[in-house]
Amino acid sequence: MDLRFTETQEILKKMARDFLTTECPKTLVRKLEESKEGYSPEVWKKMAELGWMGLIMPEEYGGMGYTFQDLIVLLEEIGRNILPGPLIATITSAFPILEAGSEQQKKELLPRIARGEAILTTALLEAEGVFDASGVAVKATPKGNDFVINGTKLFVEMAHVANYILCVARTKGGASPEKGITLLIVDSNAPGISCEVMPTTAADKLCEVRFGNVVVPGKNVLGKVDEGWPLVEMVLRKGAIAKCAESVGAIETCVEMTVAYSKERVQYDRPIGAFQALQHKMADMWTAMETSRYLLYEAAWMESEGLPCAKETSMAKAYVNEVYKDLSKWAVRLHGAIGTSADHDIPLYYRRSLAADIAFGNTDFHREIVAQKIGLV
Amino acid sequence: MDLALTDEQKVRKQEFYDTCKELDKKKPASLVGAETIYEDDESWKYNLYCAREFAKHGWLALGWPAQYGGKGDMMDRVLFSEARGYYGIPGVDIFGVQMLAPTLLQAANEEVKKEFLPGIAKGETMWCELWSEPNAGSDLATLTATAVKKGDEYVINGQKTWNTGAHKADWGFGVFKTDPAGKKHHNITFLLLKMKTPGITVRPIAYLDGHAPYCEVYFDDVHVPAKNIVGQENEGWAVVNLLAGFERSGISEIMSMVRGLEDLVNFCNKTTRHGRPLAKDPLIRNRLAQLASELEAARALAYRVADLQNRNEMSLMDASAGKIFFSELGERFAFLATDILGPYGQVKTSRWAPLDGIWEKMFHEHFITTVSMGTNEIQRNIIAWYGLGLPRIR
Repeated sequence: MDLRFTETQEILKKMARDFLTTECPKTLVRKLEESKEGYSPEVWKKMAELGWMGLIMPEEYGGMGYTFQDLIVLLEEIGRNILPGPLIATITSAFPILEAGSEQQKKELLPRIARGEAILTTALLEAEGVFDASGVAVKATPKGNDFVINGTKLFVEMAHVANYILCVARTKGGASPEKGITLLIVDSNAPGISCEVMPTTAADKLCEVRFGNVVVPGKNVLGKVDEGWPLVEMVLRKGAIAKCAESVGAIETCVEMTVAYSKERVQYDRPIGAFQALQHKMADMWTAMETSRYLLYEAAWMESEGLPCAKETSMAKAYVNEVYKDLSKWAVRLHGAIGTSADHDIPLYYRRSLAADIAFGNTDFHREIVAQKIGLV
Repeated sequence: MDLALTDEQKVRKQEFYDTCKELDKKKPASLVGAETIYEDDESWKYNLYCAREFAKHGWLALGWPAQYGGKGDMMDRVLFSEARGYYGIPGVDIFGVQMLAPTLLQAANEEVKKEFLPGIAKGETMWCELWSEPNAGSDLATLTATAVKKGDEYVINGQKTWNTGAHKADWGFGVFKTDPAGKKHHNITFLLLKMKTPGITVRPIAYLDGHAPYCEVYFDDVHVPAKNIVGQENEGWAVVNLLAGFERSGISEIMSMVRGLEDLVNFCNKTTRHGRPLAKDPLIRNRLAQLASELEAARALAYRVADLQNRNEMSLMDASAGKIFFSELGERFAFLATDILGPYGQVKTSRWAPLDGIWEKMFHEHFITTVSMGTNEIQRNIIAWYGLGLPRIR
């Protein structure tokens, strides 16, 4: 047992921190929130040069061949700094291609993803807003060698700038909601697709994507027809850990900023950090950060080692979701009025805590998985 | 990051679990919860039996240098605690094995080590801690019980309190003021004394549930050999602060909760209310899942503390955070479990009590982890002052 980062991970961490400090200041974060695209193509290009999109892809597909754990280290830094854009959407959409894609699909897509030339996103949620298979009603109907998609997806991250959308579609009504689900790689320029950005707390460009008789060639089916749900579960599981890593990084910044501010801000002739009412709250924030961090590392290590970790992942996501919201709330409150100002950095984190909670399954969704995995009938 | 155990550790862990599982079969029905050994004669006898069984394997000296009969390392101690926690097996004297032995190894002279370590390793000498006083709790250094040197003896007068198991212990280790005019933190001496020494009066104190796990101890001209000193005269405070050798992961308490959760899940699966198993109640599912997630977070942090300690890189912050988190999780668990049990949650161990009445016991036993070993408020000060570097007003 050795919970320290490897040397490679330390280098990756430092490189990411330096890069983000220079390339993604908070002025850019605010600008991107207000922009139409929601990401910076110039920064995206530089990230590709560093190998981030292909970090854990095998080298034969243009990737760097790093481990899942290494990715977690990178995402923690991204969460610390905040980096708006389609990185997590793209990386998590590449997982099912790596896992179940045909050789042709892999060769066609993965190197382009790694080079920063293809942005991907996964379209799962619909009107009902649930993360289980029962919420999937968008239909893909076979027609000759093709499939025709009809229906509306919601909360699809960065779909407005994506080159490909992994559409989770219903191809058959089955004995259970999990049966009859198929993943289709849809070219976002295909006729019949329209996309609209939804206004959200984090201004993170979640989209409504409407499919009207969108024709997708049969060769774009990812994995097996009607048997796509396990792939979706895999995206949710790995995505949940990825999101937790981003959240833990953000949590760390909230703790650091609050502690630093409490040492500077003077009231009643002393730094407010000298008051125990604040000290104990900050000690609790630090404790919540450490528990989140090591629970995340446990799940990430298991995933990286290929061990079954649905339970630990859902435990981590359910736990970190709540810690991030509560802790960033306290970060705002301990800053006082200034913490509520749009010009202050702390609210950038607080607003993202709700988005982080929802992405890849909210707390109650993951708690139900935990309930099953601890053996409740 | 690597959470895997070595093959050797896996084998040792299995041995710990197998032995505890066997000992579990001989556990008296009256032993429910960790503190019962001090309250119930049969449980105390079982505690001594387990201690001697563990001693046969050399497990009371895990992590000690080989010259004192030690074997294994800190990680073995953690894995051993895990197994004992899971099965709820006593036999490792928290005061002798966990606190005093590592302190002696670091601070005592050779003669003291040779005199006292073997009794601890063999599970023959049981210890108690004589630190707190009625007016010296968290601010321990303000203690007033005195030890006056006379020839080759110290003569002790004063009172100690909250001394867990003092009525059962053979020996006690305590701190006494040896230089009342001296500077705070440099006027205290750490002494070892036999509890049967004339002049010592031990009075059990009733805990809030009416049982008596701890005592107050009175000293009336108690003569203690001067050689029973640990560290230097007047420098006992430094010895008190030698907690580096104390296994601080909390894994034993955490594993006892892991077991508690397994048993509670089983109870919910089998118990019908409103015509369906309790386990089917969405509210109960959600609350137990939350608790389980927090418990896993506690366990993950415990391994972090263990990993650091095993490499002698102990972080006071992490150890304090771990203690705060698992002890307050214990409170939440007790409230949740008694809530789920409904009216049965209040029944003490008896034929009406589900799960041997463990949750009724836990409803009051949790204070032992939040209040003792440095209250959680003191732990928060440690994180704030020594970890986060926040200003301290004196």
